Amino acid sequence: MDLAGALHNPDQGWMQRYEIVKELGDCYASVGEYESARRCYEQASWLEPDEAGPYVGTGVIELQQGRLEDAELAFRVALRLDGCNSRAWAGLAMIAQQCGRLQQAFDYYLKSLELDNNHLTALLGLFQVSCQMGTFRQVIHYLQVYLQMHPADTSVMFCLAALYAKEGQIRQSQDLLKDILALEPGHQDARQLLEELEHKALQKGRNEV
Amino acid sequence: MTFRRPQHGPLVSILISTYNRPQYLAEALESIFRQTWPHLQVVLVRDGGADVEEVVRRFDDRRLTFINRSENRGLPYSFNEALAHARGEYICYLGDDDKFYPHHVQRLVEAIESQDRCGAVYSDLYKVHCRVKPDGRRIALAKNLEISRDFDRMLMLQFNHVLHVSVMHRKDLLERAGGYNENLNVLIDWDLNRKLCFYTDFLHVPQITGEYYGPVGECDRISVQRRKNVQDYLRNVLTIRTTRPPKPWPCVEDLSVLVLAERADALLEQTLRDLWSHTFYPQQIYVALGPEQASGWRPAVPNVVVVPAEPASSLEKRVDRMLAVCEGAYTALVPTGLAAEMDEAAWLERSLCPLLECRQPYQAFELVEATETCWGAVFRTEELRRVRRQYGHLPLRASLQAGGFSVRKPKFEEYPFRFDHFLAAAEQVQQEGDWGYAAQIYAYLAEHFGNGLWMRTRQAHALIQAGRCGEALQVLEPVLSVRPTVSGLMLAARIYQKQKNYRRAIEFYEQARRIVEGTEVQRRWTPPIRRKAVKPAADEPEMSTEESRVWT
Repeated sequence: MDLAGALHNPDQGWMQRYEIVKELGDCYASVGEYESARRCYEQASWLEPDEAGPYVGTGVIELQQGRLEDAELAFRVALRLDGCNSRAWAGLAMIAQQCGRLQQAFDYYLKSLELDNNHLTALLGLFQVSCQMGTFRQVIHYLQVYLQMHPADTSVMFCLAALYAKEGQIRQSQDLLKDILALEPGHQDARQLLEELEHKALQKGRNEV
Repeated sequence: MTFRRPQHGPLVSILISTYNRPQYLAEALESIFRQTWPHLQVVLVRDGGADVEEVVRRFDDRRLTFINRSENRGLPYSFNEALAHARGEYICYLGDDDKFYPHHVQRLVEAIESQDRCGAVYSDLYKVHCRVKPDGRRIALAKNLEISRDFDRMLMLQFNHVLHVSVMHRKDLLERAGGYNENLNVLIDWDLNRKLCFYTDFLHVPQITGEYYGPVGECDRISVQRRKNVQDYLRNVLTIRTTRPPKPWPCVEDLSVLVLAERADALLEQTLRDLWSHTFYPQQIYVALGPEQASGWRPAVPNVVVVPAEPASSLEKRVDRMLAVCEGAYTALVPTGLAAEMDEAAWLERSLCPLLECRQPYQAFELVEATETCWGAVFRTEELRRVRRQYGHLPLRASLQAGGFSVRKPKFEEYPFRFDHFLAAAEQVQQEGDWGYAAQIYAYLAEHFGNGLWMRTRQAHALIQAGRCGEALQVLEPVLSVRPTVSGLMLAARIYQKQKNYRRAIEFYEQARRIVEGTEVQRRWTPPIRRKAVKPAADEPEMSTEESRVWT
């Protein structure tokens, strides 16, 4: 494995071909050409049988086509090769979520975020599962960590603002919603939630008077 | 500039020596007979080892001369033998496991014929990292352009930067240089290029025209195996560095090193050893010794001339004696006892190079380590002679002053290998994570030191790492339009992928894949030889036609 060498000099390293077909697989998967993607992943895993990447890619395309069993098998193979593969854990979490195994999905998303707290899919998945389960504390922590690295990501900011509101942390929620509107004045969901919170605060004030 | 069309063009002799690699030889030969340049003579020497007659029989071509020798005599001997049979105006080489792309010879002939200055030209080659399967098939894992450097004579004198398989040179130049040195068993390509650079400039054609292989893991290459014997390797390096091909040298000015020794003692021996191991510029060393010192003294290093001096003569008298006989255009005065630093590779050259570039008359540069009591410097020989003739009655340094010499230490920025110093600095800041600064250095190098395609690719890579993808693409696009390398195409693809332009990313990745798999080039070839397809194993995925060949 000499990706480190290639990192410092583009004309170094002997994993070029693996990298090309693996990335090609990801690109084909992104444009919905799953058969081409599958062939690329097959070739990638033939070139480097110990790499988890092609199995994760295969898992993703199976998942996108609704073949959950095949997807789960691919993610598990990936994890056998690399137990610290954040994308594979997130893949298993999505399968568990789709199958209604919310606690398992929650645990897998958490595992994925522990390995890579920059993993947006896992973060948003965790947010969804938390909403379904009504447990928010841990997801708030991960959203905060993510926003430290991506301070202008309005979609994550909105999730966090919504969670603050649910947890009764109205002032934090309002501040965050104002930040979103400063970055993106046309963000309708943020505007509505802010109006809702202000309205509630106003009513609360009137009731107290 | 006139270029002769192929039907009237010069004959090119391609020399191949083969030893124990019949399984790859067929592809090497095939790549020769696919050349678009028809005026070829192929001289194949079997340097002992496995029988290759069956392979040769498959190439029924009158252009092939086969020397079938059962005794293994080594590469230099084989090339000298092949040279004796070569009739071409130009010579080029191919390893028995490497291959040319079809336009290799034509491109080099065009380059060498289009100008008069360079009697040697060279192109770029991919290094193919491959995995060798038990049945001998080679699976290409990467194609890197590890060397693509514009010609730099000073660097060539210090070490090689031109691949043997990529060179084409005038035959007469090598004859003038005396052919291959049969005492060497490694680095013979450097020996050849170094000797040629005394007689000609080299022209770099920055196009990829072939491939050489390097297996991942343990390498079976004889040259690689031999490099493991450090002592023997060093012997080869020093032999090459001290080789002085026959004069006249139209492209290199000789250096005379006058060692300021009073007697043949341990200090003198140490100084000679330092000169031998810490300098690379071609030089002849002179030592003036009295008869009682000179008799029976045998220097342990090559290229030393003992100049007879009167017993107990002064330093000035000895210098004047040596100056009277030395032949170099430049002269270095080197005292004994001036130690070179352990890892210094350009001990005298740090003072010589500024002088080679200096236009100002009567300028000399002190040796970097020189002190008041242990002093030395580099001069233009004629100027030093003139001053000594005029002020010979004065002590050495007083005569230099009286003669109007300006003598100073060289500045760091005047040292040789400035490009390499900057390159090392860029790599250092990269290691430290400052990719933006590294990109700046690469841009500066591309602008001021040539090697444009190489440096621009490095610049684009650094810009991507710095998160400046748009700028990276602007730098990369003109490079790819001239020379689309695998690494360059991958960089462009990665940028488009980051920008979520997957269609464009796919185009670039696919082109890179075709090059690595060998199908990009193959599309322009017409295979002349029918060969048995090798069936893939059951667990192997579907591969291109090229994949099922011995070379993939």
